[in-house]
Amino acid sequence: MIELYALTDHPAPSLPDGASLSTVAHAGLAFVWGPAPTPTELSPELLWRHEELLEKLMEDRDILPVRYGTRLPDEAAAAWALCERHHELALALDRVRGAVELSVRVIGTEREPPPADGMSGTEYLRAREQTSTARASALRTVHEPLSLSARASSERAPRAAGELVRAAYLVDREAVQEFAATVTRLQAAHPRLRLLCTGPWPPYSFSET
Amino acid sequence: MTTIAEREVALIDLVDRLLGGGVVIAGDITLSVAEVDLVYVQLRALISSVASAEEKGFLPRLGSAV
Amino acid sequence: MRDKLLHAPPDLDLFATDRPRLDQALTRRVNADPESVERGLAQLVLTIVELLRQLMERQALRRVDGGTLNEDQVERLGHTFMELDKRMAELREEFGLDQDDLNLNLGPLGNLL
Repeated sequence: MIELYALTDHPAPSLPDGASLSTVAHAGLAFVWGPAPTPTELSPELLWRHEELLEKLMEDRDILPVRYGTRLPDEAAAAWALCERHHELALALDRVRGAVELSVRVIGTEREPPPADGMSGTEYLRAREQTSTARASALRTVHEPLSLSARASSERAPRAAGELVRAAYLVDREAVQEFAATVTRLQAAHPRLRLLCTGPWPPYSFSET
Repeated sequence: MTTIAEREVALIDLVDRLLGGGVVIAGDITLSVAEVDLVYVQLRALISSVASAEEKGFLPRLGSAV
Repeated sequence: MRDKLLHAPPDLDLFATDRPRLDQALTRRVNADPESVERGLAQLVLTIVELLRQLMERQALRRVDGGTLNEDQVERLGHTFMELDKRMAELREEFGLDQDDLNLNLGPLGNLL
């Protein structure tokens, strides 16, 4: 079994050492793959190691990360997948060419108490209204301006307590520092919010074909 | 050196992307779950879980106040 | 691990409350392959239910704001939505679905939710 890591252009710079990586190529595209590691329990270390590999590749080439854990029987299967899906994969890689992903989360500090057992119906509606308003406001004041300075943006459902926005932005490599500066400016302009920006990441959220 | 909070925060953003993003190439997704060495997920096997979902009747009943 | 924080506030702990449950994440992954035709009757139905829930809740909030409901009606309405919210969470949990999974990509129209 082999594990697929990423899609890249072909030809491309030589692969980083030390990870027994190989490529299989067809018509200007290539999959970077490695022998499937023995299954181990999912741990942060495992994920970080995978991530570091992708980031090493990303240093000197554009990549489309393959979904984590994708395994194929052998190199021939990878070659087949590459031929079969060539057109859409090429489009997907073009979409992220020259760009990286940045993550932004926004939390409101004026938190209404989360819905708890024993909360009355009226209290629940009030809490929902406050959350709804806070989210709409954060989207308008933070997500919108950031989206304008990115090539693309994608928003997920807020998950954690007090979270108002959880978004990903596809940003040109050269524009990363400016984007971070914009986040800092937005933070300064909205002291009752808390903004977090992490990255650069491989363009996971913009990899759909 | 990164602090524990920094690592946690970065891990949250990593997991969000790593496990939910990336391009999907058809294949068996091999997962490893605690206490089980290896779980091969045959995507067709999902049919059985979906079929049993139909039996469960999972549409919630709405209150009369609405 | 290289430093990935491009901008972070001093009270970073606010962003660290949502510890990723890696074992749960795997269950979600099982349902996560968009190539799979079986990708979820459950997911599809719950997405639609979630859409309806959001629409109805929004409408309810507007009526509450509009002042056309008495206290008792507001209370019953709120209670119903609270129960619905709880039930949705249970169903999501049962099918190993994330809030994010309850969505439909409508191509050029973007996401449903």
